[in-house]
Amino acid sequence: MECRAVISLLSDYLDDQEVWLSESDVRDITTHLGKCSKCWNVKQELDEIRVAARELPLHTPSRAVWTRISNIVEVEVPTSKRPTRVEAPDLNRWAWIKSHKFTFNLPQLAGAAAVALALLVFGVINHSNPAENRFDPAGATTAFVLPDEDQIKAELTRRLDAINARKSKWDPQMREEFERHLKMIEDSLQHSRVLLDSNPADKVQQEMVLSLYQEKRQLLDDVERLKW
Amino acid sequence: MVALMLAESALEIIERLSTAALVVLFLTAISPVAAGQQQFSKTFPVSSDQNALEVINQQGSIKVTAAAANSGKVVINARHSDGNPRVDATQTPDGKIKVEVSGRGLTDFEISVPTSTQLDLLTYKGMISVANLNAPVRARTTTEGDIKFANLHSQRVEGHSTSGNVFFDGEVLPGGEYKFKSFSGKLDLVLSTDADFRLSATSSGGVIDLGGFPLKFDRQTNQLIEAACRTGKAKVSLWTQEGNIHLHRKP
Repeated sequence: MECRAVISLLSDYLDDQEVWLSESDVRDITTHLGKCSKCWNVKQELDEIRVAARELPLHTPSRAVWTRISNIVEVEVPTSKRPTRVEAPDLNRWAWIKSHKFTFNLPQLAGAAAVALALLVFGVINHSNPAENRFDPAGATTAFVLPDEDQIKAELTRRLDAINARKSKWDPQMREEFERHLKMIEDSLQHSRVLLDSNPADKVQQEMVLSLYQEKRQLLDDVERLKW
Repeated sequence: MVALMLAESALEIIERLSTAALVVLFLTAISPVAAGQQQFSKTFPVSSDQNALEVINQQGSIKVTAAAANSGKVVINARHSDGNPRVDATQTPDGKIKVEVSGRGLTDFEISVPTSTQLDLLTYKGMISVANLNAPVRARTTTEGDIKFANLHSQRVEGHSTSGNVFFDGEVLPGGEYKFKSFSGKLDLVLSTDADFRLSATSSGGVIDLGGFPLKFDRQTNQLIEAACRTGKAKVSLWTQEGNIHLHRKP
């Protein structure tokens, strides 16, 4: 799921997700929030606004105010175009909104405006720099780190650097095969890492990632043993 | 008269020499050297109860056959072509034999060992096969090349290839450890129907076929199976990232 889609559904996700969102939407949004720091920050801000708004005193407008608003709405929409229960038997979002009577106080309206502004700013930033909107697996690898993973990566990088420094002296065919097999393993490692980031608690995936590090290590072991 | 006799002797010598030259020429023509191949051959005496052999090959196959339990010798034959590989074979005072290829080129080994010889085999690219052994064995093909273990009765067997297949046909002994891995190749194991082992099989992108062994599952997902067959006396670990895993019951 893309950032734009997640942001547009965040409000529903935070309010009545079981009413407005399917299970798969909720799952996709949760997964995305787990790996996208920008969307996570927006969600945190919305949460803070909601908590703050909940603590504000509630001022219900008088029945007369609501009646005046209702009258204005009815005047602006012609009778023939007004949806009825018969015409729209399914309770869609608009019908649900219309069927309810809302009461807002000034701080709540201010909070809503702040949310709207935050969404607007987020949208403008993403629109002006679409590259940042893409999912970045390299960035995602920082989201969850396996035990000793940093040491493993440092060790493999150090050894690979040493091998790369003398690779130019190798038989070209052997070198091509080494690079091809190394890339094959690294591609799989990156893919498994993305899967693990989407579900860090997945023990099987954790073992897969560690096995792939081991596979890469074995390739380097061999080359060192062959004394190239 | 004397001159005549001398002339006849000279003719006889020339005739014999010509025959010998023809024989030499014929042998040269049929030898591998004439076909652009070179031979390496060396025999090491070993104790029949405990010995070890390490082979590090650059490119080419390694075929090891345990001929007889008490042969008392390791016979190494290598044939190399392409490039200019060099084979060094040495034996340490404690009996361990190390065979190492340097330089570029293809080298194919055929080695005969006693059944008790511990093996450590590596080839960067090429097939490895080991047959009839009773001792621990470790075989690794770095890139391509299948690994085949046949008729093994070893306590510890390890076969690991990056893109080759690994095939094992042998016994899994109580307390033994059997580890087979291939990044993109398949793993095939032929075990006796009454084999007693604990299995850990992982295939990220392939299928795992358990061959109808009576397994009790401890853990089972699409990619991983941990189970025991009977009491789980031996330990069998199988891992492949992209390949398939097949267990077969020996008919």
